Amino acid sequence: MEKTTHFGYKQVDVEKKQGLVKGVFDSVAGKYDLMNDVMSMGTHRLWKNYTIASSNVKEGDHVLDIAGGTGDLAIKFRKKVGPSGKVILSDINDSMLHEGRKNLINHGVIDVEFVQANAESLPFEDNTFDCVSIAFGLRNVTHKDAALKQMHRVLKKGGTLLILEFSKVENQMLEKAYDFYSFNLIPKFGEYFANDEDSYQYLAESIRKHPDQETLKTMVHDAGFEFCEYHNLTGGIVALHKAVKT
Amino acid sequence: MFRLTIEKALNHIINVNNIDIAPIDNKVISLGVDDIDLSLFFLCLNSRIFVIDNGQNKKTDVEIRMNKASFLSLFKGIPLEDLIEKEDIEINGSIKTAQNLADLLASSSIDIEELVSQYTGDIVAHQVGRSLNQIKNISLSNDGSIIDNLKEELTTILIAPSRAKIFKGRAS
Ligand SMILES: C[S@@+](CC[C@H](N)C(=O)[O-])C[C@H]1O[C@@H](n2cnc3c(N)ncnc32)[C@H](O)[C@@H]1O
Repeated sequence: MEKTTHFGYKQVDVEKKQGLVKGVFDSVAGKYDLMNDVMSMGTHRLWKNYTIASSNVKEGDHVLDIAGGTGDLAIKFRKKVGPSGKVILSDINDSMLHEGRKNLINHGVIDVEFVQANAESLPFEDNTFDCVSIAFGLRNVTHKDAALKQMHRVLKKGGTLLILEFSKVENQMLEKAYDFYSFNLIPKFGEYFANDEDSYQYLAESIRKHPDQETLKTMVHDAGFEFCEYHNLTGGIVALHKAVKT
Repeated sequence: MFRLTIEKALNHIINVNNIDIAPIDNKVISLGVDDIDLSLFFLCLNSRIFVIDNGQNKKTDVEIRMNKASFLSLFKGIPLEDLIEKEDIEINGSIKTAQNLADLLASSSIDIEELVSQYTGDIVAHQVGRSLNQIKNISLSNDGSIIDNLKEELTTILIAPSRAKIFKGRAS
């Protein structure tokens, strides 16, 4: 078992990472939505719409959104599953769940369940959900393989897993521009808008430490999913991995 | 995009018309269109269909091979037996399962010619809109909101940033 892991570009003790990640999201929770819009110039909405469009979710389905934060996906899934369906938003962080609750109420959505849970040990029965999603959450999880196995476990046969996450940019020119943007501008935006340069420095670094498209696909297969494919969005800045439990 | 459109259209038709896909439950059907180098895998699970590009070594129940003309014919509802008779299609495995899929493709009323032209060349948002209008016309339940939703989602996909360059200078 590894004794250290990465937290952004730093190596830290495995058991410390979760607390450090908690610190980051406690700190950014109140400004999270604003910062998402600023940093991605609104593009995160398109990425999320693409995720929903790929989900195959229909009326009556049960959906779990892991690391759901302020609830963008949960709101959209709620619409899709209709009154006979169910959506659970889970997150490890109570500050983010608190922001999520506020956001959903602001959108007039009241029938989403909130569950505080670590993606590595989900408190749900086997074969429960038609769809499990995790958007911009997996890279923060310490034991990603354990989390992926949990996602497989709680999905029904024929259930869909959707992982939306920053990934490896396909084109070198774009990569250079993106690096400049991530390491020079994003922390500055963090300082300016959220008074928190360090957290945004971590967010930029954690993206680079996250497995690339093919590596993540292999990890998804290793967790028990027979079918997995990914779609690059915005030249690979983000990728959506879609897998089916068979 | 091509696969996702077919996947969404099939699932839409299954849901709106309450089609029972139990006969093809758990089946993997591979469909190859040789002259446009198109390979699709249809996976039927959990009352829905997944259209994927690669069987990833899973054993297929039926393998269907054809050319582009027969592929288009299938969507237009030309009976499978006519295509088999003309030797325009090759089926390895259960003909019944192939027939079930053929029925579903025919009933989806996807404007496949447009879709194939997108697959082989350009993708233009309003074309997908037109393909979906076709679906609207034949849906038993005239639920406009589902169609609007579907259109909205597909349009979003088309303008997803990695595709944005395709639209440059093409706005109509
Ligand atoms: C960048 S936010 C994403 C929020 C939301 N999904 C979105 O796309 O806007 C990452 C979220 O992951 C959560 N998170 C971090 N580690 C986690 C873990 N081990 N289990 C569950 N959630 C976790 C954080 O609390 C945070 O809310």
